[in-house]
Amino acid sequence: MVRRSLRSTSWRQIKVKTSSGVRIHYRKARPKKAHCAVTGKPLQGVARLWPSEKAPKIAKRPERPYGGVLSSEAMRKLFKEKVRKLDS
Amino acid sequence: MFETGRVCMKIAGRDAGRMCVIVDSIDGRFVLIDGDVRRRKCNIFHLEPLEKTVSLKKGASHEEVAKAFKELGYSVWSTKPKQKTVRPRKVREHLKVQEEKKGHKAEKPKKEKPAAKPKTEKKAPNVPKEEIKK
Repeated sequence: MVRRSLRSTSWRQIKVKTSSGVRIHYRKARPKKAHCAVTGKPLQGVARLWPSEKAPKIAKRPERPYGGVLSSEAMRKLFKEKVRKLDS
Repeated sequence: MFETGRVCMKIAGRDAGRMCVIVDSIDGRFVLIDGDVRRRKCNIFHLEPLEKTVSLKKGASHEEVAKAFKELGYSVWSTKPKQKTVRPRKVREHLKVQEEKKGHKAEKPKKEKPAAKPKTEKKAPNVPKEEIKK
């Protein structure tokens, strides 16, 4: 029987191969990766932290405009459209 | 297209979305930029050119670029550090008396120490030997 506290989905089951067979280990789950608001692709340079976990501001997202919100490709497209509107 | 004096917008990096001017061309791919951006070389693919141009010499200084940008109405990158603002220190009323006392104590003049006396060797008293034996 599994301990009651380990039965929730906040604990992930991990299968570990040992000489005596496959054993199950338990590990706390992490939040999922952040995704781009435009393209939907997973973002790079964004830390997967719980709200209670502390980290400096620079360590949580890339240091560029729309960092942590848009991917680099989406950001470039956005600025290109801005420039073309300025010219027109 | 990417010649000296061409006004561009930076698309990539920390300075993305800011206006800059091409100051010099290094390679067919790299270019020296300045303006509302750090003065450094940049890849052409990270720039989006505009129709505007500015009359500048090759290798123009930051001050000349700043003049041209002010005429266009764009802001300019400044590397001078900001002056620290001195905040007024708040003191509670019941602590003001203590601080005044500290101020008075500090105003007292320091007393000068007297000159040190020369050390004299202590001599034993002349006691006759007959009395010591007793």
